Amino acid sequence: MSWERIEQELAQLREGGQLADLFTEGRAVVVYRQVPTGGLAIGLPPTEDVVVPVPPGYPANMIDLAGLPIGSPFLGRARGSQNNQGAILVAGRQWQLASYHPHNGGGGPPWDQMRHGFHTYLDQLIAWLDKLT
Amino acid sequence: MAGQTNLIKIAKNDSVVRFSKTEFQALASLLFRRYPGHEWATFARLGWRDTKEGLVVSLASLDPPNSEDMNEFVGHVQIMEPYTLRIALSAEQHPLAVGVIHSHPEGCLPAPSSIDDDMDGYYGAYFNDFAPGRPFVSLILSRVSGAFILSGRIYWQGLWHGVEKFVVETTSVATWLGTGPKFKPLDIRERTARLNSAFGIEAASRLRRATVAVIGAGGTGSAVIEILARAGVGKLILVDPDHIEESNLERVHGSQPSHAEQAVPKVEVARNHILAIDPSCQVEAIMGRLPQNEVVDAVIRADVAVGCTDQQHSRLALSDIAVRYLVPTIDCAVALEGADGAVTAQVIQLVRFLSVDPCALCRGMIVPNTISQELMSEDERNFRQEEAKQAQRRGENPNQYWHREAQLNTVGFLTTMAGSMAAGYAIGWLTGRFEPPFSRLQMNLLSKDLDVTDSAEIPRAECACRRIRGWSDQSTADAFLTVPLHWPAAQRLDG
Repeated sequence: MSWERIEQELAQLREGGQLADLFTEGRAVVVYRQVPTGGLAIGLPPTEDVVVPVPPGYPANMIDLAGLPIGSPFLGRARGSQNNQGAILVAGRQWQLASYHPHNGGGGPPWDQMRHGFHTYLDQLIAWLDKLT
Repeated sequence: MAGQTNLIKIAKNDSVVRFSKTEFQALASLLFRRYPGHEWATFARLGWRDTKEGLVVSLASLDPPNSEDMNEFVGHVQIMEPYTLRIALSAEQHPLAVGVIHSHPEGCLPAPSSIDDDMDGYYGAYFNDFAPGRPFVSLILSRVSGAFILSGRIYWQGLWHGVEKFVVETTSVATWLGTGPKFKPLDIRERTARLNSAFGIEAASRLRRATVAVIGAGGTGSAVIEILARAGVGKLILVDPDHIEESNLERVHGSQPSHAEQAVPKVEVARNHILAIDPSCQVEAIMGRLPQNEVVDAVIRADVAVGCTDQQHSRLALSDIAVRYLVPTIDCAVALEGADGAVTAQVIQLVRFLSVDPCALCRGMIVPNTISQELMSEDERNFRQEEAKQAQRRGENPNQYWHREAQLNTVGFLTTMAGSMAAGYAIGWLTGRFEPPFSRLQMNLLSKDLDVTDSAEIPRAECACRRIRGWSDQSTADAFLTVPLHWPAAQRLDG
């Protein structure tokens, strides 16, 4: 597995001020730090950390799913988070994956590996945490 | 030994150098501008991969001289210092290896002279200062009796390595190894008499020197393998991760019921079948998949690759190999369509992947859902299928979890026909006698006039395939796919 492409994509995010880190021990994931949310209007934090698994075979395999820290007030409110897709431990922190599939009929554009990546997935995460129930 | 002189000692002849057809034509045109009597030179950028068997280097682009960069008034090559400095400084801005390629006068073998030794010795150390950790490549191109002949040596990790083989997409060239072109004695064999008579003795000899990689040893691949072995191809590299099952017996050439009972690897069946046909054929059998490292290492040393799997990730990986490592490839696929017990279409598709052709992504051959599902682990696949069932029970669209696709079954006559056609075009490339007259051929055996179409798609502007041609391992960030960690390690069969 070459992480070079992902590191380049995360570097693009950092240039724009968004922090995100790649973790490759165990199940490889990207953790996006302090993703903006639409929570303020309903008394929730304005940002939240989000974990996204690196799909096997990336970039041919589309980025899918999104996870929140166990105990996050957004669990149960973000789309698909009622449908637990498994728990993962990343850097000593427990996360719960939600059934969020933006590139697979879940509201985003169809996956195009020439255009999409972890840098563009941030848009999907912002949209995800903006529409809360 | 290639280029061995008193000043430069070659440690081993273990390197392969690859060119795209278009870059080679540009190179020849540039280097022969003062032919037949005088030499000329150019710097170049080359991608490289350090395989277990040696370096495989591919020409990415030329850095041709400007008007003041070379001395026009001498017959041999004299490169001016500003040209060298410009190339060295530019090497600090890109990740590729630096090379110098020059011509020898027409009719002269590409044997390095003492002046060449001086130049290579100097440049080997010089460019290492600007581009540390990269090979320095020195090649000589010549034309003898109308044929291209090349020699080369590469300074890598403190040693000089000779080039054992040059490969130019769809173009025959000879490799000079110090005592003459690397041609085995003409091997006239009665068994290929018809082929010899149709294409000529030289073509048969080229086949004996050729290496072909066949990706997939199922119905289509086993047909390719059989045709190439009977045609006298010298070496076959076989790649397939699977074992023979009973349902394969209708299609796989060389398979027997005992192979299915014992779940023998497909590549083992293919290897034994080849050796039964031609015991002198060299066979390298790997249980694995592209782009696993061991598989890539083997495939990029081949003259031609033939893709024979029904997996999209394999097709995408082959396309990647064609672009980044300049391996000319033919991909073949078949499909049966039917309804209510009637067969409505029998489709054969052959796709040419040369480095200048649009890649599989540009051609729209890859369906994101399908390839994603192929690349999932077994556990994830099961989990998603279960989620899809539950979604269906809830009245939701199950496709976001699992997209069920109709299984396209194929039959032996169709796979054999597609494989035979692909093998035929591979033979055309290897012998230089003919080329595929299409970019992407589709035909339906059940349509009037077979409904033959040739789709000449154009590359998408944003696709990496336009800018990483020949970049080899120096473009891993732009690789079309990576190896899923859950795949079992590739395994080379002994013997």
